[in-house]
Amino acid sequence: MRPELLKGHLDALLLAVLEPGPLHGYAVIEAVRAGSGGALDLPTGTVYPALHRLERAGLIASTWETVGGRRRRAYRLTASGQTALGEHRTVWDRFSTAVTALLTGPAPA
Amino acid sequence: MSSQPILAEPRLRAYLAAVAAGLPGPRRHRERILTELGDGLDQDAAGRVAAGLGPAAAVDAAIDAFGSPDVVAAAFAGELATASARRMLGWFVVTGPLVGVWWLLVLHPHPWRAGVVALVAAIPVIPVVGVTLVTVAATFATTGRLMRWLPETGPRRALVAVVAVGVLVVGADVAVIAVYLGSGWPARPLGVVAVAASVIRSGCCLGAVRHAAALHRRLVDRTGRDAHR
Repeated sequence: MRPELLKGHLDALLLAVLEPGPLHGYAVIEAVRAGSGGALDLPTGTVYPALHRLERAGLIASTWETVGGRRRRAYRLTASGQTALGEHRTVWDRFSTAVTALLTGPAPA
Repeated sequence: MSSQPILAEPRLRAYLAAVAAGLPGPRRHRERILTELGDGLDQDAAGRVAAGLGPAAAVDAAIDAFGSPDVVAAAFAGELATASARRMLGWFVVTGPLVGVWWLLVLHPHPWRAGVVALVAAIPVIPVVGVTLVTVAATFATTGRLMRWLPETGPRRALVAVVAVGVLVVGADVAVIAVYLGSGWPARPLGVVAVAASVIRSGCCLGAVRHAAALHRRLVDRTGRDAHR
């Protein structure tokens, strides 16, 4: 899938994979890949800066923990992030319904 | 998955060092980014080892998956520039009262109850301070938690705000020193302290302005290179 198709939707995707519970950066990449059936294989250079930006916006929060000798940064959704995710879902529903209607509408007689 | 970190692999360390060389911005932010990337690389490589690849091949594959150091460093450039801009703007705000209090003591109109008009007449840079604070507040809001509702300020504009605020602060310091020297009582101890505080702050501001301008140039150059790829 072409990366430019994700423009405008990356925030929603990252918030969505964090909704079930906290994940660290690499697990976020894996969750997007697994959740999309392998269709969305986001580059590292896209995901980590986007997570930092979402944290700056207060939509996610991070904590550092030590797991097996490794320092690891885990991200979790904040209350604002949960609200923003709901808004993204509403927008996406309207958008996808409209585009689907146009692309799969009745064939001309 | 391996329970032992394989960050000790020389190629992994060399890769992270190459990424670090391309990361500008606050040291603490850079260190966090490198720790996070190292952890991700370590997990990626460990997963490949668990899937049957040798450690060296797993590290090579993980590095290939993460991308070249230049590309990874470039991806963080915007975030680091924004972090730098916010930090410098925060510094401008903190130094305001530290310097301003001396000028208030030296130049305040007498008696105090003369009001705002008399205060501005005595310290003519007060409107500049107001403009500076509004610019800083707007930049903080649109690069922070309020960017969900307000249009987001990108890293290049945030750096422009740093340069603008820095120039305003230096201009205000120079103006207030000129007002004091022209007042006919430059030998007062409080005045000497105020002038010294302004001179020191102006020097630091010019350093911050130069740093922000360099970061801005770097971002512009990088954007130009990316556009030609």
